[in-house]
Amino acid sequence: MAKTTIYAGLEIGTSKICVVVGEAKRDGTIKILGVGTAPSRGVRKGEIVDFDTVHTCLNDALVRAEDYSDVMIRNVFLGVSGGHIESINNRGCYRLPADQSEITEDDVEEVKEIARNVPAPQDSISMHSVTRQYIVDGVEAVRQPIGRQARQLEADYHIVHGSLPRIQNSIKCVKEVPLEVEDVVFNGIAAAQVVLNREAKREGALMIDLGGGTADFVLYEDGMLTISGCIPLGGDHISQDIAMALQIPHGRAEALKVTEGSCVYEDVPPGEMVRVEDDTGYVLGEVERAFLNEVIYLRVREIMEQVYQRCEGHIGRLAAGVYLTGGSSLLKGIDVVAREVFGMKVTRSGSAPVSGVTATFENPQFSAPIGLIRYAQILDQEKPFLSPLKRLAHRMADLLSVAL
Amino acid sequence: MVEYDRHSQREEPNKPALRTCIVGIGGAGSNVLDRITLDRTVDAQLVCMHTDIRVLGHAMAPTKIQLGADLMRGVGAGGDPDLGREAAMFSRDEIRQAIEGHDIVFICAGLGGGTGSGAAPVVAEIAKSCNSLVYVTATMPFSFEGRRRLAQAEEALQQLQKRADALILFENNRMGELILPKDGIQKAFAQGDQLISQSLRAVSTIVTTPGLVKLGLDDLTSALSTSNGRCLFGFGEARGQNRGAEALKRALKSPLIDQGRLLHQTKTLLVHIAGGETLTLMEVDGIMKQLGRHVPDHTHILFGVAVDARLGESISVTLISSLGLAQLNTIAAVAPPANMLPLTDRPMPSVVDAVAAAPTSAPPKMKSPATRPAPVAAEQAPAPSVKAAPVPQSMDLLFKDDEIISLAAAAPAPVAPKFEPAPELFPETFAAINGAGLAQDELEPEEEYYEEEQHEPAAYAEPEPEPPAPAPAPAPVRERPRIEDFIRATPEPAPMPALRPLTSPLAAVVARTNLPPEDLAYAPPPNMVVPKKPTNEEQIDLGFSNQDRGRFKDTEPALASGGEDLDVPTWMRLKRKLKR
Repeated sequence: MAKTTIYAGLEIGTSKICVVVGEAKRDGTIKILGVGTAPSRGVRKGEIVDFDTVHTCLNDALVRAEDYSDVMIRNVFLGVSGGHIESINNRGCYRLPADQSEITEDDVEEVKEIARNVPAPQDSISMHSVTRQYIVDGVEAVRQPIGRQARQLEADYHIVHGSLPRIQNSIKCVKEVPLEVEDVVFNGIAAAQVVLNREAKREGALMIDLGGGTADFVLYEDGMLTISGCIPLGGDHISQDIAMALQIPHGRAEALKVTEGSCVYEDVPPGEMVRVEDDTGYVLGEVERAFLNEVIYLRVREIMEQVYQRCEGHIGRLAAGVYLTGGSSLLKGIDVVAREVFGMKVTRSGSAPVSGVTATFENPQFSAPIGLIRYAQILDQEKPFLSPLKRLAHRMADLLSVAL
Repeated sequence: MVEYDRHSQREEPNKPALRTCIVGIGGAGSNVLDRITLDRTVDAQLVCMHTDIRVLGHAMAPTKIQLGADLMRGVGAGGDPDLGREAAMFSRDEIRQAIEGHDIVFICAGLGGGTGSGAAPVVAEIAKSCNSLVYVTATMPFSFEGRRRLAQAEEALQQLQKRADALILFENNRMGELILPKDGIQKAFAQGDQLISQSLRAVSTIVTTPGLVKLGLDDLTSALSTSNGRCLFGFGEARGQNRGAEALKRALKSPLIDQGRLLHQTKTLLVHIAGGETLTLMEVDGIMKQLGRHVPDHTHILFGVAVDARLGESISVTLISSLGLAQLNTIAAVAPPANMLPLTDRPMPSVVDAVAAAPTSAPPKMKSPATRPAPVAAEQAPAPSVKAAPVPQSMDLLFKDDEIISLAAAAPAPVAPKFEPAPELFPETFAAINGAGLAQDELEPEEEYYEEEQHEPAAYAEPEPEPPAPAPAPAPVRERPRIEDFIRATPEPAPMPALRPLTSPLAAVVARTNLPPEDLAYAPPPNMVVPKKPTNEEQIDLGFSNQDRGRFKDTEPALASGGEDLDVPTWMRLKRKLKR
């Protein structure tokens, strides 16, 4: 019965560039047809600094994904991240005209427009306008206002905006492949769609995607998307800290972090050493494990604290706790640090089970790209009442609108 | 009011424009002339001269002169310049008749053969005697044509240089630069001809067309005046977007100007920009600015602009200059200008030195705290063979990565000697860092980080009775050093008699890691001497200098709400915070 649509999600991350091809059926299930990844070289802190390198790596990933999935990829959902991404909740209020008693689709659009008018920094573009809730005549938590009798319609929107030039850079880079960009999605929101299930969202959860260059976080409270944002600190910073502390090259530090790193240093017996080797296996030296762990701990703690600062007011009200995902969440002991900082239960997870290539969903590194597929699916489901043309127009407007 | 008659200011309409004559001598010369004739853009008298009547027969020039008709009987000079010269001498009356009365005489000849090499100097001399400006474009033979032809060409060149006001040389060897390798040979030669004809056209246009900013013969002579030198000529034409930049780029690409490198040496440069009605001031400005990067400041630039409706949408840029012979010779020896070299990280040599220097300080540190400074100074020189091996290894590694961490000065030091069978390596880490610390104890407060660590080994060095052993038995009293301990330990007033000289390579490297001024504001303990950092004024912005940011050098710093740079390692920032 289901008509299937094939989506492709592209994430240009700091540690890897990942293309995921997935098939979404109408009943909501996703099947991953193929994944192509390539190590990313020209990206720092989530932003592209070297176009040519990124171009090459992107082609690599794309070719692998196409091979694996046997699908020609023409347009992608692009996931972006970076410190410039900010979010804000805004409420738009719209009084229905006197002769009208029922809420129509246009009214919803109207209130959306009103809600979108937030003062945002120059040069920013709003990436997402996510409906949090509708308030019909003071009654909150209304999901579907259309058709209801009311006098006044209010809507809470969660608006995510980012720096227009940087987003355009990413789009430009993708267009050069050439690929068409269907939509630009904040990685955190994408990941949250597959990491947090409906219950977690309802109970209140904070998802942190600790990637190579950034830590994207998304907080759901009462089932509504409340806070989202991005801290431009990530696994790269941890490796850099190690590199500077131990005076070894960055690549070595990265390898050391992955194989031996841990956030827990207090319980490490003193004198336990870690060997630092070079590429050929030649031992460069040894360093005390506790020292290494402490360096890692300090940085991880700082990242967590930064996220905490941004989510300050809402932390106490999350029942489902903190969800950690992303490559850096594979660090040993990171849940301990998170528990220290947030004081809530911490779950480390990859994306929810999807059919198809199973290895991918178990791996937290792929939460964001798989999330892109899910996001694409949701997008298509959310607006069944809009004609395709109107939907396109809305998407274009979303993409191009500059928040005033 | 006195009426000011502007009309009388203008040049009299019947004043004749500069009369130019273009003479093509020999086979090559006639080819060039043919091309010019075909182009029909040059308003000049075109004369073709040759000894060989067949060539003359094919030539398209309106005026043809057969050299030495009686002598040669219409046969070519056979590659003998003497014959060529004689033939020209024979016909000198005819020659004079054809070229006299012109202000500029352009002579095109291919050197190496008979007619071109032989007759060209004669014609030049005749033209000179007619008081014209003599502008010679000559081609040098391919190197595969053999030494004899080259020698003949050289000699003819010398003679021409004496008689010509300006000499532009085109080496056939460089014809390859004009075309793609797969193009046909006809195209190569055609391009060569085109280049030469372009130069002629450009020069004649410059001096004949009235421009907005006029360049006259006098400017031309001044640009080209050089004794025994060579002229540089670049011509570029472009249309469409960015036409200014394109045209300049093409002009600089011209093989006669050698990518603009030769421009660095010139004293006078003549720039002529011509465009259609659509020429804008911005384009002209842009071109001149871009050009300014290629020429040194002291070059005298003669600038001319002309609006020529015939050019339509395109812009043409002409560069004419000259190089004296002396300069020509030095060019061969001179390396390409500095801005062509990639910016190398200058730290590299000193890092090596530093690495070489640092490990030596490692073992002595364990000996006794009191005598620490002395051995450091003493043992700079002797380099234990131990360190020779690890140094290249670690240096290789360092160079493999793009980002050179300048703190790496002390880097391989602590880690390098580790492959010794010493079981307790950690103390050496400290010791080495210590050594590094002491190495620049009088330097930045950043080094206080290392300074404070010395108390750790001091703490556990004492319990160990055998200081000289680089591998002390693991003392049970040795506590695991913690970062907070380094940070919080107050500096002991340890005696520091000998201050390390500022010029030690390690010190220099560390001195280069700039810390924000906040650190400098922190008053160092009284017994420590902190010299003024010379680069105080530059450190206005927080955080590392770009060099130290390593991996994050091209990005904006991640700023916390308090304004601190989060790219700086946490452990480093913590140390600073707690010190306050």
